[in-house]
Amino acid sequence: MSRFTRRSFLQTTGLAAAALTSPLGAPSIIRSAQAAGTVKLGCLFSSSGTMANIEGRLNHVVRMAADEINAKGGVNGRTIEVAVSDPASDWPLYAQIGKQMLEQDKVAALFGCWTSVSRKSVLPVVEQANGLLFYPLHFEGDENSKNVVYVNSPPASSVLPAVDYLMSEDGVSAKRFFMLGSDYVWPRTINKQLKGYWKSKGIPESAWKEEYVPLGFSNFQTLVNQIRAFADQGGGKPIVVLTVVGSSIPDFLREFANQGIKATDVPVLGLDMVEADLEGLNTEPLVGHLNCWAYLQNAKGAANAKFLKQWADYVKTKNVPFKADVAIDPMVSAYDAVHLWAMAAAKANSFDVPEVRKAFAGLSFDCPSGYKIQMTGENNYASRGVFIGSVNEKQGFDVLWQSKDAPKPVPFSPYS
Amino acid sequence: MRRLFLILLFLSAAVGSSTAAELHRAELIDRLCGDAAALGEAGRSLMGVAAEGSAADRAWAAPIARAMMDRKLTCDGAGAVAMTADGSRDALSGAPRTAAESGRSPLLSLKNRSVFEMADAALALRSSSDLGRRAAALRTLERHAVTLPELLFESAAAEESDPVLRAQITAVAEAAALNSADPAKRIAALQRIAATPDRRALAKVGPLTKDPAYAADPAFKGAVDATVRKIERGIRIGDVLATLYNGLSFASILFMAAIGLAVIFGLMGVINLAQGELIMIGAYATWLVQEALQRFAPALTEYYLIIAAPVAFLVTATIGIALEAVLLRHLYRRPLMSLLATWAVSLFLINIVRVTFGTQNLNFVTPFYVTGGVPVIGDFIFTWNRMFAIAFAAVTLGLTWSLIRLTPLGLNIRAVTQNRTMAGCIGIPVRRVDMLAFGLGSGLAGLAGLALAPIYSVNPQMGQNFIIDSFMVVVLGGVGTIVGTVVAALGIGQVNVLIEPLWGAVAAKVIVLLMIIAFLQWRPEGLFAIKGRRK
Repeated sequence: MSRFTRRSFLQTTGLAAAALTSPLGAPSIIRSAQAAGTVKLGCLFSSSGTMANIEGRLNHVVRMAADEINAKGGVNGRTIEVAVSDPASDWPLYAQIGKQMLEQDKVAALFGCWTSVSRKSVLPVVEQANGLLFYPLHFEGDENSKNVVYVNSPPASSVLPAVDYLMSEDGVSAKRFFMLGSDYVWPRTINKQLKGYWKSKGIPESAWKEEYVPLGFSNFQTLVNQIRAFADQGGGKPIVVLTVVGSSIPDFLREFANQGIKATDVPVLGLDMVEADLEGLNTEPLVGHLNCWAYLQNAKGAANAKFLKQWADYVKTKNVPFKADVAIDPMVSAYDAVHLWAMAAAKANSFDVPEVRKAFAGLSFDCPSGYKIQMTGENNYASRGVFIGSVNEKQGFDVLWQSKDAPKPVPFSPYS
Repeated sequence: MRRLFLILLFLSAAVGSSTAAELHRAELIDRLCGDAAALGEAGRSLMGVAAEGSAADRAWAAPIARAMMDRKLTCDGAGAVAMTADGSRDALSGAPRTAAESGRSPLLSLKNRSVFEMADAALALRSSSDLGRRAAALRTLERHAVTLPELLFESAAAEESDPVLRAQITAVAEAAALNSADPAKRIAALQRIAATPDRRALAKVGPLTKDPAYAADPAFKGAVDATVRKIERGIRIGDVLATLYNGLSFASILFMAAIGLAVIFGLMGVINLAQGELIMIGAYATWLVQEALQRFAPALTEYYLIIAAPVAFLVTATIGIALEAVLLRHLYRRPLMSLLATWAVSLFLINIVRVTFGTQNLNFVTPFYVTGGVPVIGDFIFTWNRMFAIAFAAVTLGLTWSLIRLTPLGLNIRAVTQNRTMAGCIGIPVRRVDMLAFGLGSGLAGLAGLALAPIYSVNPQMGQNFIIDSFMVVVLGGVGTIVGTVVAALGIGQVNVLIEPLWGAVAAKVIVLLMIIAFLQWRPEGLFAIKGRRK
């Protein structure tokens, strides 16, 4: 027994580990110079500033997914360690912290960003460092970087089906459109694409109106007046396409309801509206307004039940400062993202970015939404299902419509 | 024999009619549990029941339409179960029964939702025993009166017991007859429509100039032209009032956020960057009061906004006094240090609230006095939550003004504001005045938080939005004057609201800031400078 000292133990296990990994993984170990036994993932989600309420919970979801994978033995024999940061809803800070994580912490992949402006700010950093950023939000498309994995849907498989639905007989036969957005790249690009789409359908330019507000804007009185004036002009059913983000969403909805506009008069299609935005609102006068995502909390199926239970347990055991009974699409997308990364890393048997990227082709994962999400070798997009949700009086969304299968993602819009 | 035959005939007719009614009800339930198209059909039959059905049918249909709107109707193998005010009942028979586990609640699409909304309101108008509910139902029906069966309003008016509501129903029915064949009815409809001059009315009347009757009938043409003129005037008045009201409401928010800062900055020259966080803490204190009331005195919960006022004031005033005594007292001669220190305090407060309460928006009960709004004229809607903020700001202004002008503390504050050294020389306890004034300024921020709770989302970050705006108001108004703060808030609020519809909210911010820069170049001391020697 005396022969078994700490030093000899370390030597033998170190040798064993080296022997195990050397045929395939030795070069990558030398390059990434990580502490043996763990692999680091970085999170870029704000826990302060205007995005805090919705972005903050994604940090915990990434941790939860990592814990789940670790419990099953980790990836390639390593356990996942999650590094969390706070870019404070300050877009340039996302790039700065991202750079730090890639260069100093040597993270194997980044998971982060909510707003497109933060993604655009991180983009040059991940491209320069040849890192990987998993982006869990549906967004404006028109981007295809080999260093970003677009886990959620581009407009062709989220916004357009929802707008189509509203324009159809089954929807409300919408003829006129009021676009209200926060003033940055996502709302402007989405609205540009929508205008192109409507033009292609022969809808005249007089049928829409476009307004923007600064980020964090909260005084929507005048704008709701404008919407009422627009709606009462006649000329077909009006709808509002809402692309404001963050705390502007509940502030807008509150004013909208207070001025007595119901969903049956002017429905609001809130493109960034999630269950968490309705927390703290009296949703009774808001019943019927719509959103569209690749996941809704009320999605049917065992995978969703399992995910919701896992989140509730995680919140309880880790004392996470978010509601245990609220799950939103970006949470599920971030959860999928960690699993996709782990599957790709396992398939490549490496944490090296080019190797992992090559392994994306043909991956598929059973998403809590009930759809099988898939990746092809063509681009870094994942195909997801489409849901249209309708606000109910319990601060949630009922599933009003959902696609038959997960449509193939189209990164570049023909309408912009 | 003949008599027997008659009786038999009568009986069979009775049985026949009752089975017909049963059938029709069962069919309706089947449709309610069917696909979207069938649901739409069911909604239209419910509307038919409201207009033409028997009293029994209407009484049967009303809770079903309501349950559909609330998504409280569950379809299962044995039919459907509606959750109504008096428990869970079988939709067809009305017998108490609970739905099977496997049941599903049909979800109304937006299209069907508007059909059911009308049917539900129509049934409520005809069969609800509650006058308020009937009046609300009429308001809902009014928007789409043209598309509804005429018979509905006729029968509702005939049955209505309340004379005021009966007159209203007749008015709605008359206005709905705009496309009737009878020219006299159309002219009467025009006059009715002109009574509510808004854009919706204009959209209805405007196209009539292309109506054949417009060219043929001079009386009709005159009526249309007069109505259009009247509506357009109403819209113009409404728009002016709406702009004024929006400006006033924004000004009240700016004033509430800035008044505390004005007192502190005017007196001590300290820029309290934690002012926004004190607003946030005021809102959280309000929430805590609401929660406490819900637990210990549920009957008073609706009035939490009023009960919380002293609590919000005292909590934030205490924090302010503590802040002054512990921190700022030592930094009076170093304004830059005090700026940094208050900034640190603001970050500290945000994070401590985040750790304690989380980042989500707080759930506030919406009391009846801050819910919804009243249409006044044109497209101007008087919203109660904004009115609450305006009234609250007015009361705060009155109280602060009396405190500063009429009390010994106010006299001291004014003296120290005007000339600190001299005030000290004649025996005013300068340090104590500082502390109390800081408490007052902080308490006012707490009240602002309370006033904002029914308008904005309450979360740990909410205060950060206000610091720039309120600082702008204070500097523009002239440091340390209440009247300056009021005028500056009114000015900035109104200018913002005027620019927003023209060039958008982003440009409005830019233009307002440019205007302030230009103004301060011309008058660096602000609108109302305190005469006297500062420093």
